[in-house]
Amino acid sequence: MIHDSIIRPNLVTGDKNLHDVTLEICRPIENKPSVSWKVGFTISAIFLGLLLLTLGITLYVGIGTWGLNKTVQWGWDITNFVFWVGIGHAGTLISAILLLFRQKWRMSINRSAEAMTIFAVMCAAIFPLFHMGRIWVGGYWVFPLPNAFGSLWVNFHSPLLWDVFAISTYFSVSLVFWYLGLIPDIATVRDRATTAGRKFWYNFFSMGWTGSVRTWNRYEVVSLILAGISTPLVLSVHTIVSMDFATSVVPGWHTTIFPPYFVAGAIFSGFGMVLTLLVIARKVMNYQDYITIGHLEAMCKVVMLTGTMVGLAYITEFFVAAYSGVEYEQYAFINRATGPYWWAYWSMMTCNLVAPQVFWFKWARTTPWFIFMLSIVVNVGMWFERFVIIVTSLHREYLPSGWVMYSPTLVEIGIFLGSFGLFFTCFFLFSKFLPVINIAEVKGILKNRE
Amino acid sequence: MIDSKLFLDKNKTVMFGIFENPDKFLDTVSKVHQKGAQIIDCYTPFPMHGIDKAMGLKRSLLPIGAFICGCLGFLTAAALESYTMHFDWPMIIGNKPTIGVSYVPVLFETTVLFTAFGLAILFFTRSKMLHGKMPSERIDFRQTDDRMVIAIATDNNAVDKNELSNMLFSGGAVLVKERTNNGYEDFTEVEIKSAN
Repeated sequence: MIHDSIIRPNLVTGDKNLHDVTLEICRPIENKPSVSWKVGFTISAIFLGLLLLTLGITLYVGIGTWGLNKTVQWGWDITNFVFWVGIGHAGTLISAILLLFRQKWRMSINRSAEAMTIFAVMCAAIFPLFHMGRIWVGGYWVFPLPNAFGSLWVNFHSPLLWDVFAISTYFSVSLVFWYLGLIPDIATVRDRATTAGRKFWYNFFSMGWTGSVRTWNRYEVVSLILAGISTPLVLSVHTIVSMDFATSVVPGWHTTIFPPYFVAGAIFSGFGMVLTLLVIARKVMNYQDYITIGHLEAMCKVVMLTGTMVGLAYITEFFVAAYSGVEYEQYAFINRATGPYWWAYWSMMTCNLVAPQVFWFKWARTTPWFIFMLSIVVNVGMWFERFVIIVTSLHREYLPSGWVMYSPTLVEIGIFLGSFGLFFTCFFLFSKFLPVINIAEVKGILKNRE
Repeated sequence: MIDSKLFLDKNKTVMFGIFENPDKFLDTVSKVHQKGAQIIDCYTPFPMHGIDKAMGLKRSLLPIGAFICGCLGFLTAAALESYTMHFDWPMIIGNKPTIGVSYVPVLFETTVLFTAFGLAILFFTRSKMLHGKMPSERIDFRQTDDRMVIAIATDNNAVDKNELSNMLFSGGAVLVKERTNNGYEDFTEVEIKSAN
């Protein structure tokens, strides 16, 4: 196009023309699912079943089925909540912040990353909701609804309520952003549809899209504004999640570094999960020309940068605790590194600070199997980070008489594994029924204009 | 919206030029506009940068709508928070003020929420988009795949029809046709052959 740089390498390889892009990206939707899709979907569905079973047990028996106790009142549930919310950050970062920075490489990956955001936030929502116990009366505990107790409202001074607003806004705005981006591509599938079912459903969701330039013109304005408001939104969400901890008086939690530290961690873990999914998806769906080694390399650089930022935050926390002279604070950090949960702390340090440093080497950034392995390491490390923050700070409080150990029950482990089932089931359905790559945007960056 | 109106009105004639090369298409759109012909609309499978200027489109007013929606969200949150926390049941915790900085996160989130949803609703309304609506201006089934279409009004005699079709062909059109509307969703279409 007229704004293209002639010296930059192509973002989409294989010398594709406009029609090739349509054909290749619509292929999974228009053909029968492959064997690998069926196997993957079945395994995910089994884990989804596990989620339903363990949540059913929690509802039927009660929260007593979890390993929480009077001291460690947040355990795996909130660890998993923060873990999933963090993963949900890459999608909006890629589609909103990279749009504002005019990073065109985002175009091949933004659709799947946004889908991942939505599914991850759905998984995250399970944990605080079920932690409330009687979820069926939870409506007026989390939303300012008039209720039978007179003037008893939710507390707007509480960070937990800020979080309710942040997560629900984030989820719904991401959904709008994602759907809006999908409309032109749904219309493309509609115009190629051969079966009555596909014609009906893709027509229903394409909202009469014709590709009119007048509509495109408005659409671009809407995208830009949504990107503009989503950028502070994505930063605000994990900031507010961090305030759940930072506004308390628990040693190890009430530090001012938490908001930027959590945001960097969220981007880090989000990109980790995007890499895990896309290294597999590009191979299985044969999208190597769209999600190239160049894309993977760019994401690896983001992982390395944010991993280093997170590592810096870990070290800063230690320094501030030492420098503050507050003995409770100092003890909390020494206990993290050398106490009974030392293994969790050092797993976190190794996975998040040390491991991503291999991305300084070009070989590491450009070898898909290695990137995949490392992305798993990042996911594990970021889960441990939340576990360390939550459990080590709680299990030894101010009074030694309240000191306890925490370990998860089978039900908690089941819910956690089941949440992966929900995530991957949604992702497999998405890859079967919707275009995984943004067809319209990718067409705009092709060099072959015929 | 002129596009739909011109399609539905009786005895309107519209000439369509169908292209397969985006660069040649953009060039032709610009030339047709400069010639003074009335371009009803263009249809492209992807957002083409610069085509709005080539067609002479004005800037959208949606940002103003978005700003109003945002203000509405801010006021809604401010009203809700101050009513519940200050007027209806003042919740005093640690002798802290009942109206204060703790309102900020919810104010921000609600502003963003209202802006996003308001903007999406305004966009759908303005573009006449609705779930299940059939695409009314589908000239070519490949206009969402690899073809670009320009629709020009030809009954106002702004430009000579022959000159216009020659211009489209020389610009790289693969197909040129003229449509005459007889009534609602009732029209006849004639394909125009290249003079060469």
